[in-house]
Amino acid sequence: MLERLPKHMKEKYKPISKIKIMTKTTNASGVGTAINRVEGHLKVMGKAKYASEFPVENKVYGQGINSTIAKGEIISIDTSKAEKLDGVLKIITYKNAEKLKDFDKEMTPIATDTIAPVLQSNKVHYYGEYVGLVVAETFEQAQYAASLVKFEYKKDPSAVIDFEKSKSKAYTPDNGTNYSRGNMEQGLSEADVVVEQTYNTPIEHHHPMELHAVIASWDNGKVTAYSSQQIVEDAKIAISSTFQIPKKDVRVISAFVGGGFGSKLNLDRHVIMGVMASKMVGRPVQVTVTRTQMFTNTNMRQQNEQKMRVGAKKDGTLTALSHETLSHTATNQEYQEPCGMVSKMLYKVPNNEVTYKLIPMNIQVPFAMRAPGEATGSFALESAMDEMAWKLKMDPLEFRIKNDTQTDLHENRPFSSRLLVECLRIGADKFGWKDRKSEPRTNKKGNWLIGYGVSAASRNSPYQKTYSKVILKLDEDKVFATIQMDATDIGTGSYTIIAQTASEYLKIPVEQVSVELGDSDFPITPGSGGSWGAASYCNGARAACENAIKTLKNNRNIKEEEDITVSELLKKNQLTKFEAEGMAEPSAEFEKYSVFSFGANFCEVWVDKDTGMYRIEKMVNVASAGKILNPKTAYGQIIGGLTMGVGMVMAEQTHVEPNFGNFITRSFADYHVPVNLDMANIDVIFLPEEDKVANKMGIKGIGELGITSVAASIANAIFNATGKRMRSLPITPEKLIVAGLEPGITA
Amino acid sequence: MRPFKYTGAQNKDQALQAFTATSHYLGGGTNLVDLMKEDVERPDQLIDINNLDYKKITSNDKGGLTLGAMLSNSETANHPEVRTNYPLLSMAMLSAATAQIRNMASNGGNLLQRTRCPYFFEVSMPCNKREPGSGCGALNGMNALHAIFGYSDSCIATNPSDMCVALAAIGATVEVQQTDGSSRMIVFTDLHRLPGDRPEKDTTLMQGELITAIHLPKPEFSDHYYYLKIRERSSYAFALVSVAAGLQVKSGVITKVGLAMGGVAHIPWKLTKAEGFLAGKKPTSENFKAAAALEMKDAKPFEANTYKVEMGKNAIVRALTQAYEREV
Ligand SMILES: Cc1cc2nc3c(=O)[nH]c(=O)nc-3n(C[C@H](O)[C@H](O)[C@H](O)COP(=O)(O)OP(=O)(O)OC[C@H]3O[C@@H](n4cnc5c(N)ncnc54)[C@H](O)[C@@H]3O)c2cc1C
Ligand code: SF4
Repeated sequence: MLERLPKHMKEKYKPISKIKIMTKTTNASGVGTAINRVEGHLKVMGKAKYASEFPVENKVYGQGINSTIAKGEIISIDTSKAEKLDGVLKIITYKNAEKLKDFDKEMTPIATDTIAPVLQSNKVHYYGEYVGLVVAETFEQAQYAASLVKFEYKKDPSAVIDFEKSKSKAYTPDNGTNYSRGNMEQGLSEADVVVEQTYNTPIEHHHPMELHAVIASWDNGKVTAYSSQQIVEDAKIAISSTFQIPKKDVRVISAFVGGGFGSKLNLDRHVIMGVMASKMVGRPVQVTVTRTQMFTNTNMRQQNEQKMRVGAKKDGTLTALSHETLSHTATNQEYQEPCGMVSKMLYKVPNNEVTYKLIPMNIQVPFAMRAPGEATGSFALESAMDEMAWKLKMDPLEFRIKNDTQTDLHENRPFSSRLLVECLRIGADKFGWKDRKSEPRTNKKGNWLIGYGVSAASRNSPYQKTYSKVILKLDEDKVFATIQMDATDIGTGSYTIIAQTASEYLKIPVEQVSVELGDSDFPITPGSGGSWGAASYCNGARAACENAIKTLKNNRNIKEEEDITVSELLKKNQLTKFEAEGMAEPSAEFEKYSVFSFGANFCEVWVDKDTGMYRIEKMVNVASAGKILNPKTAYGQIIGGLTMGVGMVMAEQTHVEPNFGNFITRSFADYHVPVNLDMANIDVIFLPEEDKVANKMGIKGIGELGITSVAASIANAIFNATGKRMRSLPITPEKLIVAGLEPGITA
Repeated sequence: MRPFKYTGAQNKDQALQAFTATSHYLGGGTNLVDLMKEDVERPDQLIDINNLDYKKITSNDKGGLTLGAMLSNSETANHPEVRTNYPLLSMAMLSAATAQIRNMASNGGNLLQRTRCPYFFEVSMPCNKREPGSGCGALNGMNALHAIFGYSDSCIATNPSDMCVALAAIGATVEVQQTDGSSRMIVFTDLHRLPGDRPEKDTTLMQGELITAIHLPKPEFSDHYYYLKIRERSSYAFALVSVAAGLQVKSGVITKVGLAMGGVAHIPWKLTKAEGFLAGKKPTSENFKAAAALEMKDAKPFEANTYKVEMGKNAIVRALTQAYEREV
């Protein structure tokens, strides 16, 4: 065990891989323990309410109608048949819609609080864009009526729908993300070996299990929206600015969210349609996006073509690395996935260039999907690294370790902590990397070709200003605490880790803590996304708890260091109830460092020699992600990330029809995500890591680290098994069967 | 979904009497109801036939089994006699969809499930099968999943059923009830039809005909059988290409072959040339390869589904090999 690790590492980083599940804890329920989810029983009993489940009285149903052309104009609308149907209350199109704030620029960058104007003109920008909403007494009536509204269009033949044929239309986005250091061409000329390859990733969709949904009420200019959102504050801003009403008049509630993966970061247009419809019909309106509409109306990950150029010396020292990404955006909204981010910071390479280009296309605007940039960028970078290692005849693991850096050369500052080498070494040991055969097609068993692959992972750990409130109540000797914040739990475990934080800092059992989230009337947090949730929420909750204790002590002139229970404190203060607020934010120190989580993924893949089918036999994932608040929920995040990564490699892709511009992938029957049988034996190892620069509690992000390293490690294992370099995701049997062997490899 | 009338039939006469030109029989509904939600199928009436008494597996006078049309795919595939005597059918059926869908899906419905061509599913797109005369969207569109054999300019779709591939290999017969009260037998390979210029018609069934049973011949492939299904994930995906292979081998010589392919044509594609070639020959890999080549040389792929030729060839060889080498 661990024999290949330098001695000092062995002692310091003994991995935590066993998960102890504690039930019925009393005091051992603080930060770091593997307690069960505090809201688990609510979910199992169906009592956790998701957006469309709130029993709002008198509510009616809205059904969105989608355009069936990619670009052009609506020339006529026939609502006569639909209007005659029982239960139909209103049919809203651009002709009678409320006027909303519209974009004032030709190309508006999309952000989490961007306005979401809808039904404002007869112009169609993409196939599936909302062109109407039918409001009816029942869901069934609304759906049927929606199918009877007839739109006639004038098609504009200049629609841009074919990525391959539209590359000449690409522009360089004006967002300051193009980057270079050193001199790329010089770096290449110094190299003994150069790898130059292009890697393709397709459009993917987030597809959380919970459909996007809203129940919206407009009540004398005041809006309440039960909406499935990752960031309630930004949803509130988007609603208030789209309708041009004061922010204080908008309330957004997202108590439970059935997954988001980035698709619920921003406010989608069904929410605006719901609010508008409620205003127009005078009743609360529920709008649930259908699974097919999830493809066209809730963002997506865009297609990327990433060109990599890598130069290295014979001994494996990197001399040059360039990462050019060609992608697409909407014709009126701009999003650019930061694929090149990893190439700027992961390795010690003096000459580095990262560029982006976007093709404005008549398909919906893409937006962040789990590990935007890293998930796709690391596929390109970590595949290219593997190709280089192969050309150098070096072990791909040692090649990575050789080029490790403790300085973020992009920001020119140290990493707050970086255990990538440890992740690689410990993972290799646990996985049995030493048994890898470096020559492809030499490890065989029956009809199987067996291969091993590795890749490194990194994910930025942002941490943001967070407010929270704690309410303490004394009942006999017991103190019960309630934490309130507008944070969301998108299935990740926020409720649990926030409760554990309160338990830790108030020194009371977790059973005495309740957590209330997802209401924009609560103190403001940055919401869930970008792996910043856990650090921000827990530090925010910590600050409120610390404040409560400090104030209670100050009021009675008790010394700060005195060890006294919170119940004693309340009694000394002669209080049975006490409230305190707290705020946490990044320190000045934080800005001087680059704060990232790191990881490594190892996998063993078995490829069928005849059919192109393969199975992932084993995966070992090692993560160094700061303080692990709850090994159980953290494990869930890594497993979920790995599964999504397996989906990315094996099957996930949305096809754009090249003649019409619609997605012909329109349900789970054809948008394939992994099934249980596809999943391997997975070992997840967290390295203990103290990172006090990241934040007081030493928390880094973990929600996106898991997906980051998967694609390349599997593609690299497939190469090791078959001698075929699969540079285009997903790697399907169709592609594998026709792929040729790399030069120099014989069957 | 459009409003429709629901009629629960208690027996075959009620079902047949209720039938009108715009009716559909309702089996498990796993295909029909999906298509109604997509507005592809628009029946005025659904006649629920789940209470009809076609839920038995019995012995027939050919020495084989007769499968009731209303038995679920799970009950059929897991039936001890099917497992023992028709393991090829069982294997093919269990490779389909998911346990939940197989529990709902009926044998009759499985035979009549419609294509998974994405253009067929999206009513705003042209599709001759859904809307005769509107054009075939797939012909010059996305056709990576489409046919390489037997298609026409009107339609290049494939039949998606796994069960049907096995039934074609085994050589079944389908019994149907006609609305006038008479019944008839259809040789399995005559049930489905090539698209020609009438792709809206998947089968040779006449209006209102009700499938009541599937008759299997006496078991021939219970020792040497294999259903190979190539797909993008380990379950819950339709075949890109599949092969049902059954062999009878006596004294080192192939005495009987049942071979059919899925995912390549508008019908379960019976490999008659390969069957003819292999009969009387030795079960060697050279012969398997020659048989596969013989079939695949007639393939006419599109650019996007050229892979099916190589895949098909490998799949035939592999299915035959696995069938032969299977431990008896
Ligand atoms: C997501 C998904 C994945 C799937 N994957 C696979 C797969 O991998 N492989 C595979 O083979 N299949 C697969 N299926 C298809 C599944 O096998 C079929 O939907 C099922 O077999 C249909 O049976 P049913 O009884 O539900 O038919 P229904 O949907 O009830 O009926 C289908 C058609 O048959 C007609 N019909 C039904 N019974 C009779 C009868 N007795 N006589 C005359 N007409 C009748 C109906 O009117 C209708 O037109 C999948 C389905 C889904 C939804
Ligand atoms: S292949 Fe057949 S089903 Fe598909 S679009 Fe063409 S006509 Fe319709």
